[in-house]
Amino acid sequence: MPESNNQRITSVGIDIGTTTTQLVISQLTIENTASGSLVPHVEITDKEVIHRSQIYFTPLVDRDLVNAVAVSKILESEYIAAGLTPEMIDTGAVIITGETAKKENAKAIIDALAGFAGDFVVATAGANLEAIFAGKGSGAALYSAERHQVVVNIDVGGGTSNYATFHEGKAVDSSCLNIGGHLIEFERHGDRITYISEPAQTALETTGQRLQVGERVTLPQLRPVVKAMAECIVEVLKTSVHSNLTHKLLMTPPLQLAHPIRKVMISGGVADYVYAEKEPERMAEVTVFGDFGPLLGWELKVSLDSAGFVLEKPNETVRATVIGTGTQSVNLSGSTIHLQETTLPLRNIMVVSPFTAVIPETPEMIAEVIKSEMIQLQVAQTEGVVAIAMKGPRTMSFLDINSFAQGLLLGMQDYIVNAKPLILVMEADCGKVLGQCINASATHPLEVICIDQIEVDNCDYIDIGKPLMGGRVVPVVLKTLVFNR
Amino acid sequence: MAVANNDLEKVIIQSVMEELAKKGLLSQKGKDHMMSAAMMDMPFVPNPQSEEMVTFPPQEEMQIDNPFNADAVRAMKKLTPARIGIGRAGTRPKTMSLLRFLADHAVAQDAVFLDVSDEFLQRMNLMAVQSSAGSKDEFLQRPELGRRLSEEAARKIAEKCEKNVQVQILIVDGLSSSAIEANIPDLLPALMQGLKSSGIKVGAPFFIKNGRVWVQDHVASIVNCDVVISLIGERPGLGTAESLSAYMIYRPDENTVEADRTVISNIHKGGIPPAEAGAHLTDVIKQILSAKASGVKLNQQK
Repeated sequence: MPESNNQRITSVGIDIGTTTTQLVISQLTIENTASGSLVPHVEITDKEVIHRSQIYFTPLVDRDLVNAVAVSKILESEYIAAGLTPEMIDTGAVIITGETAKKENAKAIIDALAGFAGDFVVATAGANLEAIFAGKGSGAALYSAERHQVVVNIDVGGGTSNYATFHEGKAVDSSCLNIGGHLIEFERHGDRITYISEPAQTALETTGQRLQVGERVTLPQLRPVVKAMAECIVEVLKTSVHSNLTHKLLMTPPLQLAHPIRKVMISGGVADYVYAEKEPERMAEVTVFGDFGPLLGWELKVSLDSAGFVLEKPNETVRATVIGTGTQSVNLSGSTIHLQETTLPLRNIMVVSPFTAVIPETPEMIAEVIKSEMIQLQVAQTEGVVAIAMKGPRTMSFLDINSFAQGLLLGMQDYIVNAKPLILVMEADCGKVLGQCINASATHPLEVICIDQIEVDNCDYIDIGKPLMGGRVVPVVLKTLVFNR
Repeated sequence: MAVANNDLEKVIIQSVMEELAKKGLLSQKGKDHMMSAAMMDMPFVPNPQSEEMVTFPPQEEMQIDNPFNADAVRAMKKLTPARIGIGRAGTRPKTMSLLRFLADHAVAQDAVFLDVSDEFLQRMNLMAVQSSAGSKDEFLQRPELGRRLSEEAARKIAEKCEKNVQVQILIVDGLSSSAIEANIPDLLPALMQGLKSSGIKVGAPFFIKNGRVWVQDHVASIVNCDVVISLIGERPGLGTAESLSAYMIYRPDENTVEADRTVISNIHKGGIPPAEAGAHLTDVIKQILSAKASGVKLNQQK
């Protein structure tokens, strides 16, 4: 049995946002960190970014259609620049963010890119996930773990502001507001408005401002609406009672604010102007990228200061999301993996959580719960593979684990009859013994993946990549798709 | 408990009792009982009928007054069962910390000095034999005696145990009987299921009282098994007294050294959960059988 103690894998992160498209390639080192007398524990021990792309404007065919061909050309040229081919990529994620994800064709683009960008690359999107990746990429997650302080990362991009609150390294809260620096477009270095997006129109109307496409504006004319937007961003941090405008622009439920917030980090394209030394003084400075990002950044800093928040500097600003996507999207998990290698990778596995309350005691009752959930979700009618997610068996006793295995086989009868793999994801540390119990109770050989010590709260789908470390672990990507929200 | 024969002692006892009552560790009744004993200048005789259980607040509770960063203390406490973030009273530990320390120490001593109960062995259907150490005291004072079976044990094993099996499982009390009673009910069935469904021939597990790790070599020489595995109670600490280790060796003989053993340690509910350990040990035993080696020799083959 080959058991090398570490392995390096190459991961790509691709971020297609409202305004910009970028990519990073990272090298992840995975290692068995447990000592020889303990159960092996494989984890990612080092992450190194080996290639950062240029920052491209997201190519659009028209305002609503991302140019997939052009995007794949960008990837191609960046791979060449990095000296890599798609086959050399082991894992990674494409994330479609901000306004772009709203556009109807986003799913098609993701699919096209997932095929192009190597075998294991998986597609993901979703405002909450984006916020969390940005906060991990910016360094906010690490900051909260090292300083033991709650910090909120706000990734302010072209179309959206994504909030993620971190406590002890973990994301505990997230939200998304439809405010970004590219919602009104201008002639570059000029003062003529070329486009006003819908959320910007809403902001204009609510604040009683009147700006129109084709019009030339001065800085004092533009400032009030930008100030109002900045204040909306800060308002989400302060209170759950929102002004009319904030309420209209929230794209997800607001922050729950269960933890008191003092420290704030800003990442995203607008971030560099939050941390700028001086404010933009002329329209030409504001519209350097054909939008009002520099002014939004400055006004945001002013609003945060006057509300008493402490601004912390992130490690990454404009690249935070893409770095987070490339380095943080992958979990590794081991335990029981009885699979034909050709079964993997599996994409878009629907996560089913049948056990909302306590897990019942007998196999029959467990089977009952699973069956009714499977019927409700019409799993039998779909071709897809599902994963059963849970916290763990009723207790960690062998008796309960064995009963659970029997209940599971009984409840999933109709599903495994079609030779589909039985996939289990749980938080408790008993993946090996549960897998063993399933195999011992099964009447015929089954394909089983039992993944433990993974939290799947708020997760709709998972992807499982090809096994690593001599078949001992599989890369697992948890995701929440924006499309069903 | 000592007699309170001067006023200072009374004051001390009274304030300790009050502190305990305030923390909810002692009921009013218990406090009154002890106080009156102290005040009457009479030796305190605990009443076995009304013996009170003392409950400690959860370990993770903040014990530092006015911490600068409470989140940081909580995060660090979560990482270790060690006694950190417990505050202090002047240069001394707080009453609560001291009591917890004494209680944990008592639990550790019990683990060493108590025997695995007959009721437990019956329930688990385990035959019991003994090492050549005749008593706990002898076992603790003369380690070499725990490494050999008694003559009677050797005879009983030769008579009752199946020979030439692939795997022989031993349950050995070692330095913690508590570890045996806490872990074996979940570990053993998981291990047996794993070995059996892998088609491995296993002899009936049995229990050895007052045994140490090396006693497995003696057993192997009698039953002539390929692999012998001892599930043995670890030396208890103040963190847990319930930790178990599994020592495995492939065909031990007179040239066997410690490096020939493979060990999986730290099996208890706060470490490797016992049922999960059973499944993991199955994998390790399979590796040992196929490599025909254990310990360092096994690792070198990997």
